[in-house]
Amino acid sequence: MTLVRRVVTVTEEVVTELGTPVSHPARRVAAAAVIANPWAGQGVVADLSAAAARVAPTLATRLSERLTGALGGVGNVTAFGKAALVGLGGEIEHGAALIHTPYFGNVLRELTGGTSIIVFSDERGPAGSVLTVPLWHKTEAATRSHYQTIQVRIPDAPADDEIVVIAAASSGPRPNARIGDRTTDPRVTLSELENAS
Amino acid sequence: MKLRKITTVVDDVHREGDRAVNPSARTAVVLAVVENPWAGQGFVTDLGPLIDEIAPRLGELLAPKVAEALDAPIEAYGKAAIVGLDGEIEHGSGLIHTLKFGDHFRKVAAASTLLPAVEKRAPAGTVFDIPLKHVTDATIRSHHQSVEVRVPDAPRPDEIIIGLAAAAQGRPHARLAALSTEQ
Repeated sequence: MTLVRRVVTVTEEVVTELGTPVSHPARRVAAAAVIANPWAGQGVVADLSAAAARVAPTLATRLSERLTGALGGVGNVTAFGKAALVGLGGEIEHGAALIHTPYFGNVLRELTGGTSIIVFSDERGPAGSVLTVPLWHKTEAATRSHYQTIQVRIPDAPADDEIVVIAAASSGPRPNARIGDRTTDPRVTLSELENAS
Repeated sequence: MKLRKITTVVDDVHREGDRAVNPSARTAVVLAVVENPWAGQGFVTDLGPLIDEIAPRLGELLAPKVAEALDAPIEAYGKAAIVGLDGEIEHGSGLIHTLKFGDHFRKVAAASTLLPAVEKRAPAGTVFDIPLKHVTDATIRSHHQSVEVRVPDAPRPDEIIIGLAAAAQGRPHARLAALSTEQ
């Protein structure tokens, strides 16, 4: 059984930017679970798959429920992301085993109604580290308006033998997304830029 | 009142001291980032008019939100005002240390005691601890606790973070003797 010590959910709603109401008042949420590193104290473990298969699906389910709960249903999820922050006694590979396998990603994707690959960040650090979690569109990953991030920080986690596993979601694009997209971009090449300068 | 953003944090503790906390211990915080209503005005002698205008609206906004985030009866509570670097701590204190603000929370929490508070001036991204005490008896030791939060991009120099914190219980595994046993 995985020992979950703490679950923290952070929700952000931006109402105005530079004093003006935003065009997309979306809600952004990150759910973070502090768990015991399943491989703590075992040195370099060659095969991480068994523990990942045991731990990751439950975590993904629990965190997805927090996300859809905070956004008011799976239909309100338009972007998603994931992250792992490994305590100083572990390997980044431990966090990777928990979030970069189908046991986590496929469950998160299914429960949030997505099809895209899920963007991520991972890091090793002391308790109280700030981790920036990236998000992008859940079905159209290249949708530029939905590139966004949310920061997570838990004062007392991860301890050296812990991992913070995070899932994140947003109900919409950036508050004032207005930089166009691949379909509207002018053609840009290095040689043309050099000729223009 | 010029509101920029709202951040909500819900914290569930499932284990403490290597033992299960059952049921898990929940704390919720709601933070509103607003423009400092006295920004750019120099030293304002009478803060009363803007306190009367803005403090009740902040209380109305935040009290139901923190109750909703906690989703359980409120047993302990606290409040916060974090003033951006161009303001006075007095500005934050003005907005939270008035019944016009706190009574909204007291009503939602069925509370009767004074709200413990943190007030400070700091740059954006500062970490701050909100103290909480029991909602009807501030001497109940099991409910003395604090919650640590942070908004990455606030307060700007001309902003104030106004926050409310609520807990559904005292500390996990609280086991200190009551104050009365020492009297």
